[in-house]
Amino acid sequence: MVNSVLKVEDLKIEIKLDEGMLTPVRGVSFEVRENETLGLVGESGCGKSLTCKAILGINDKKCKTTGKINFSKDGSEINLLEMKKDSAEIRSIRGKNISMIFQEPMSSFSPLYTIGNQMSEVILLHMTKDKKKAKELAIEALRRVGIANPEKRYNQYPHEFSGGMLQRVLIAMALVCNPNLLIADEPTTALDVTIQAQIIELMKQLQKEYRMAILYITHDLGTVAQICDRVAVMYLGKIVEIGTVHEIFKDPKHPYTKGLLGSVHKIGGNNERLFSIEGTVPLAMNLKDRCSFYDRCVFRDENKCNRPEPCLKEVGKEHSVACWLYESNEPHEKEGI
Amino acid sequence: MMRTKGKTNSSERVLRKEERKLQKRIKQQEKYFMSSQWQLMARRLVKHKLAVISFVILAILYTGVIFAGFIAPQGLEDYSATYSNAPPSKIHFIHNGKFVGPFVYRYDTEFDKFRNKIFVENKEEIYPIKFFVKGVPYKILGFIESDIHLFGVDNSNLPQGKDPVVLMLFGADKLGRDLFSRVLIGSQVSLTVPLVGTFISFVLAVIIGGLSGYYGGWVDTVIQRIIEVFLSFPTLPLWMALSAAIPPGISVTKVYIFITIIMSLLSWPNLARVVRSKFLALKKEDYVLAARLAGVSDFKIIIRHLVPGFMSYLIVNLTLGIPGMILGETSMSFLGLGMRPPATSWGVLLQECQSISNIANCPWKLIPVIFVGVAVLAFNFLGDGMRDAADPYK
Amino acid sequence: MPETILTVKNVSKVFSSKKVHIRAVNNVSFEVKRGETIGIVGESGCGKTTLGRCIVRAIDATSGEILYLAEDGKVYDLQNIDKKTLRGIRKEVQMIFQDPFASLDPRMTVFDIISEPLRANFKLKRNELEEKVKSIASKVGLNPSYLKRYPHAFSGGQRQRIGIARALVLNPRLIVCDEAVSALDVSVQAQVINLLMDLQKEFKLTYIFISHDLSVVEHISDKVGVMYLGKMVEYAPTEELFRNPLHPYTEALLSAVLIADPTVKNTRIPLEGEIPNPANPPSGCFFHTRCRYCIEKCKTEDVSFVEKKPGHFVACHRADELNLRGIV
Ligand SMILES: Nc1ncnc2c1ncn2[C@@H]1O[C@H](COP(=O)(O)OP(=O)(O)OP(=O)(O)O)[C@@H](O)[C@H]1O
Ligand SMILES: Nc1ncnc2c1ncn2[C@@H]1O[C@H](COP(=O)(O)OP(=O)(O)O)[C@@H](O)[C@H]1O
Ligand code: SF4
Ligand code: SF4
Ligand SMILES: [Mg+2]
Ligand SMILES: [Mg+2]
Repeated sequence: MVNSVLKVEDLKIEIKLDEGMLTPVRGVSFEVRENETLGLVGESGCGKSLTCKAILGINDKKCKTTGKINFSKDGSEINLLEMKKDSAEIRSIRGKNISMIFQEPMSSFSPLYTIGNQMSEVILLHMTKDKKKAKELAIEALRRVGIANPEKRYNQYPHEFSGGMLQRVLIAMALVCNPNLLIADEPTTALDVTIQAQIIELMKQLQKEYRMAILYITHDLGTVAQICDRVAVMYLGKIVEIGTVHEIFKDPKHPYTKGLLGSVHKIGGNNERLFSIEGTVPLAMNLKDRCSFYDRCVFRDENKCNRPEPCLKEVGKEHSVACWLYESNEPHEKEGI
Repeated sequence: MMRTKGKTNSSERVLRKEERKLQKRIKQQEKYFMSSQWQLMARRLVKHKLAVISFVILAILYTGVIFAGFIAPQGLEDYSATYSNAPPSKIHFIHNGKFVGPFVYRYDTEFDKFRNKIFVENKEEIYPIKFFVKGVPYKILGFIESDIHLFGVDNSNLPQGKDPVVLMLFGADKLGRDLFSRVLIGSQVSLTVPLVGTFISFVLAVIIGGLSGYYGGWVDTVIQRIIEVFLSFPTLPLWMALSAAIPPGISVTKVYIFITIIMSLLSWPNLARVVRSKFLALKKEDYVLAARLAGVSDFKIIIRHLVPGFMSYLIVNLTLGIPGMILGETSMSFLGLGMRPPATSWGVLLQECQSISNIANCPWKLIPVIFVGVAVLAFNFLGDGMRDAADPYK
Repeated sequence: MPETILTVKNVSKVFSSKKVHIRAVNNVSFEVKRGETIGIVGESGCGKTTLGRCIVRAIDATSGEILYLAEDGKVYDLQNIDKKTLRGIRKEVQMIFQDPFASLDPRMTVFDIISEPLRANFKLKRNELEEKVKSIASKVGLNPSYLKRYPHAFSGGQRQRIGIARALVLNPRLIVCDEAVSALDVSVQAQVINLLMDLQKEFKLTYIFISHDLSVVEHISDKVGVMYLGKMVEYAPTEELFRNPLHPYTEALLSAVLIADPTVKNTRIPLEGEIPNPANPPSGCFFHTRCRYCIEKCKTEDVSFVEKKPGHFVACHRADELNLRGIV
């Protein structure tokens, strides 16, 4: 049995807005294991970023978060949600044991300090108190992510780097403390195809070296196929399917996953109409208690689906899906006569 | 069988109730979808408690400005030597152990052992406070003539040879004029100079900043340099120099106009910068390009896309600029460089506070400071609230 | 054989500031036939947007000709054209933008946004206007009851539909789509691509489809142009380009595509170094600093953009001798 590094249980996030109560995350559970990459995919606004911000405890004040986020540190489990916001303990976990890479490399750095300055700051905080050692570590980390001439680059400012290089520096910074878990929120979306491929190779290679767990968030299925071991598909704040990358791509079960995969054009495939999921994602507000994909689902079965929202049910060893179609026995008593 | 049916009915009722709730919420949402930027802004502004309170306070103050003649018991020129430096009148309800409604006693003057004038209430006669009484004639908004005042004192008990009793809520000044009336009448200057000045600088800023932002090139360069020159002057000395240049002996109206112009001359450059930078930013927006590609004329693009685009920012900036003007007018008048007697403003009223002994003996003369402070804070808070509300998509 | 609707001839665009001159588009030439879709691909900053904006005359090209065959059968050079004629042509050449949030005025209702081009060009009565807007809205799949709403009520995909409706309402013939689906999710992307293709069939539209997403371009385009540092380095029919690329840059670009299939492991051809500074491009072949096939000649001698096979243009000294790997 592989150890799980992070276990999220029934995570719910509510935000009060002018227009009403928004529930962007409505009970999400998953685990990320050692040395594996779990992909979290889903359309924009389905709650991916909020989920990982909740893990790091960096959500807005107005986000009401409930559930459990268990992180195993040195063999014991800690519920990150129960820890005080911005306490020293959570800050040390956040910098040392869990690292994060964001979508926009430029905005993750302060333009006023050199790259080296910003890297050593992190190292001095979590690793060593020796300034010289910190510099050595930083330069070593830059070298590992393939930055040529790291000694010189160490003293340069962020604007002297290109987007792809900055993203690599960000990865170097995230890895410098040897984290157990790396959360990457669309780290390649803002980058060009060529650099995107490069970064993904880099992350795979570094994972092999450090055996860390990666939670990889993206909506690009090409990236998912190339980097992830397991995939969780999110729709409207819930995980609707989770399984190994091969199961998900070869044998998708949930109608939403099927639709998502169908709408990707494969190079060399026929150039007829793409399959597309009709309609739009509803707002996570004023939802009825039934399958949240009901209105857009082409496999909808009036008899089976007119029930409360389905929960994840195992359909294979590693494969679970939340859809009434795969429910063999009927768990809910029939209502009325 | 029956039981099941009952259960169904009740669950149906619950369902219908849920359904109705949902419909209501959906309607609410639809209203949000169909509300314009201004409506969204207003909605957010209403949530900002401090801004709402400030708005109410300002509304009260400006109501005072409009109806000053009606609310003030005295006119601008009324005075009474007897009541020179009189303290605020005390309002009583009970006379000789009997409830008689609100009234005041007359102040008689005596001298204490240091030969200082002191005021003592003469408890012989009462002077009832009456509402809607006749008094000095005034005009509201310059054209509605009347001589009815909101309240006044019934002087029918007044013995021969005594000055009529006035209800002086805030006391009297050196010349025995009711300070309350003068604060109200003064607000007609102190609270409108900033508004008119702001309006003038708004027009200047939109035109000059707009030209600068729209044409760019050398027009922009020249205007920017001019703005820099304006901004490089220290404000207070410049005010003083400019107001010293107001010719003496001209009419009150002209002084008013001069002061307003001085105020706006000094505030447009900053606003013009805001307009220009917003203009430049908006010009690059895709929707402006889309309009150009659709063949919409430049003029229409400015009117339909650019001006509304920076209007909210401009209004916020204008609001936040008003406190400066209030303080500016007050300090100029205080220094004797702005409004001059017989005209009055809060600054003029405060001139009497220039000596410490005066403040020590008649602390009520500082009341106009409270008004200045409240107005300044209220505009600041309102402006802050508007700034937060200006960006509904944040 | 359909007629040529657009000829781009030696178009360059230089952005000059005090010190630097950036040649954002450098001597680009290609032809577009009526009803075709031309894909333009390349890394960010290679000049795709600038080229597209030159074509719709949002900006003036520095040199070159943009010949457009108008509806009236005459060919106009959009670069040298008087204001009045340009106004007429504007209706025929429209643009769809990348950012669905920045391209709609947040202060206007959807109805006002879609009807603005009509109001600017024709004098229509209110009910005629309404009818037109409603019909175009239903064409792009917008519920007519949405017309009273403001843009903040919509998701990215729906906003993009509004943008498409605005571009279509003047009955254009040529539409430049600048990354029109890049900001959208895959499933929404599929909807919008289908919509664009349906509309193309219905109105015989010609598209210039700018994107950095190669699989989308492969799906929608008839021909593809590859740009690098402001230059067009290869231009060919889609299948030909993806199967038999003739330019090493195209080969590298194709190899970097992440295929949405976990069983196919991609074998990327690494590109050395970074994209050179466009203000200071390399000598000879612009790509030589990163090309793994670079020889001495490439560093000094300029390359010309020539037709190596019928319809297949390329700018590489070694195009004849290299045997490059495509995908498919
Ligand atoms: N601070 C906030 N205030 C209000 N709503 C928010 C806030 N943060 C997120 N949301 C809403 O929560 C939902 C989920 O947001 P989230 O950022 O997690 O999406 P995502 O799945 O990461 O999407 P993307 O692919 O676009 O990054 C969205 O509807 C978003 O508008
Ligand atoms: N208005 C401008 N002023 C100066 N340089 C510009 C301007 N617009 C684009 N550029 C430069 O021109 C080059 C091409 O830009 P662009 O056409 O936007 O590229 P793409 O669309 O391919 O990403 C870039 O180097 C960019 O920095
Ligand atoms: S439960 Fe029914 S409606 Fe929901 S996804 Fe499954 S088949 Fe579709
Ligand atoms: S000309 Fe030379 S350097 Fe340029 S692409 Fe061809 S082989 Fe490479
Ligand atoms: Mg996100
Ligand atoms: Mg671009």
